[in-house]
Amino acid sequence: MILTALYLQSQTFVDPTIRAAAVQSLLLAGLFVVLFLESGDGDLLYLAAITAGVRGILIPAVMLYQVRRFKHSLRENGTGQRVPSLVIVGVILVIGGYALFKTALLPTLSNPATSVPFVLVLLSFLLIVTRRNALTQMTGFLEEENAVLYAGALIAPSIPLLIEFAVVLDILGVVLVGVILSATRDVLRTLEEPELEQLKG
Amino acid sequence: MEQSLIFFGLLAAPAAGAAISLVPRDGVEVVASLLSSGAAVLISLFLLASGTSGAFGFFYSDGLTRIMAITISSVFFTSVAYSRFYVKRINEPLIRFRWYYSLLDLFAFTMLLAITVNDLGFVWIAIEATTVTSALLVALERERTSVEAAWRYTLIVSAGLVASLLSVIFVYFSQGTLLISDLAGASIRAGLLLPLAVGFALVGYGTKAGIAPMHAWLPDAHSEAPSPVSAMFSGILLPTSIYALVRTFNLLQGLPSFGAMQNLLIGFGVFTALLAAVIMGYQRNYKRMLAYSSMENMGIILVGFALGGVGAIGAAIQIVAHAFAKSSAFYGAGNILVSYESKSMAEVQGVATRLKYSGYLFALSCLAVTGAPPFGVFVGEFMILAQAMSAGNITLVLLLAAVYTYGFIGLNRQSVRMIFGQSSMGPQADGELNKPAPAVPQRENWVSVAIPLANLVVALMVGVYMSPLLLQAAQAVVP
Repeated sequence: MILTALYLQSQTFVDPTIRAAAVQSLLLAGLFVVLFLESGDGDLLYLAAITAGVRGILIPAVMLYQVRRFKHSLRENGTGQRVPSLVIVGVILVIGGYALFKTALLPTLSNPATSVPFVLVLLSFLLIVTRRNALTQMTGFLEEENAVLYAGALIAPSIPLLIEFAVVLDILGVVLVGVILSATRDVLRTLEEPELEQLKG
Repeated sequence: MEQSLIFFGLLAAPAAGAAISLVPRDGVEVVASLLSSGAAVLISLFLLASGTSGAFGFFYSDGLTRIMAITISSVFFTSVAYSRFYVKRINEPLIRFRWYYSLLDLFAFTMLLAITVNDLGFVWIAIEATTVTSALLVALERERTSVEAAWRYTLIVSAGLVASLLSVIFVYFSQGTLLISDLAGASIRAGLLLPLAVGFALVGYGTKAGIAPMHAWLPDAHSEAPSPVSAMFSGILLPTSIYALVRTFNLLQGLPSFGAMQNLLIGFGVFTALLAAVIMGYQRNYKRMLAYSSMENMGIILVGFALGGVGAIGAAIQIVAHAFAKSSAFYGAGNILVSYESKSMAEVQGVATRLKYSGYLFALSCLAVTGAPPFGVFVGEFMILAQAMSAGNITLVLLLAAVYTYGFIGLNRQSVRMIFGQSSMGPQADGELNKPAPAVPQRENWVSVAIPLANLVVALMVGVYMSPLLLQAAQAVVP
């Protein structure tokens, strides 16, 4: 999971980023299946199906369709040169995040595996705040959602219906994002146009 | 059971409005939304008058619920009424108007759901749903800037709210329940996870409430959304997120970690208010200026709730007064935008001559939201300051005084220049340079003036004559 997150950080083109997010979601679905086999909790199987179907296949397919509308591989504007340093920042976040988790959370949560989603949340935030392309930011959001649902399944698997509701609402959110993205193609090249000066200050 | 019906009715009204608005017949959406929002106001008034408190199956009510219900339904009603005047100027909307009204109703429904459910998990779901229902409303005008603002809003707020889901998970892991009624008792188990839950709630719900430094979406969405939507964002959406944060924070009452988290919330509240008060005075876009004013108010309200006691009562009063005054300001801004077709303050001068009533209403609304006496915001801010004084926190008193002063000067200096200043940017008469263009008075639509006037009167009434029912609900906010 963390390797896929670091791979996401290392990409300057949008399509491999989307594919990596899809792989991460499928890996998470596999983890939910393993947890189901251990605990027998049917909710986990349901969650695995939604994770694989929606975040592993459906949403990446919609996003890749958006990319194909440009008829060429879409690349981050201006972020390419910064990618190596962002990967280093990502690695530092992994190490620092784990150290922080071990000090602050491990004594209470008592499950070292919870450190993985904790670190993933940090990496997803890094992806969202450092990228300018809307689709790459969206993969950051998918990664964050993966991380939190992973944390939920590890920390409180019996939490009533919350995970299912969260997934349903996020589907709705992503559908809306799809509508916004399709409303104008130009929105994919954001923040560098003079008219967006109006959104400064 | 009877009390449950009040809540069912409160939620059924906007839900029915949303469904009926989609009937493909001209004008149905306006009538349906007006009736449903009017019904929500009446039911909220009944809830306020009945003083209903406690858990009723799926629902929970206390003073804060009653305050939020009347505020949300009232601003919802006035925004629907004002929309009728405002949205017809939009030539190529992103969605059909019947969808606009339907989403407006659903937006109100999700906020009313968030403040009435007896489950922190459902509170989170409802607040997440407010993003879903309102994202397209921000982009209604279909301009590049409004689509970009909607995108930023959806992404930043959703990313933030995922953090507050961690807060909900931590609460459940540490307490074994998410029911607010069960968590309100003395059975709270102490531990590290609960303060962490409050910390994540601060990040998550704080993002939606415009708490700095997670506020990046707020000025964009407020300035680019249609004015009735901006009024709902500022007046009721931000306080709904504060509500969720306060519900989580109050779990710490009486626990050893309370003091540390109280200081954290006060710190973020003061930082937000101070940052907004300073930035506000340098804005070039009057809707962005109002957005920063909302941030300032949310920062102060957060400080009030964190302080507790009289401060929490003041915060509750400020929620009501700010909602009415700020919605009045946004409706006034909408009138100005319709007339001038510009959001730039440099291009909008001498409003009092061109739009006499809207100009004065805008100026008075700006005074009201910055805590000028005798408006209700002044009462709220004064009570929060008084609580800080009685707590002996001189640093906080000085910081709050600086926020109040800076915010007041920053916003009103700009608004006075806009409303009463003379334009040097307009078309030049007789080819002479720097001669102001003569302002020609315009006839104003009475609906577009009556709605902000009514809201401003309520904001004034909260300050000069506090309804005993409102005061009773505000007093019941104190945990």
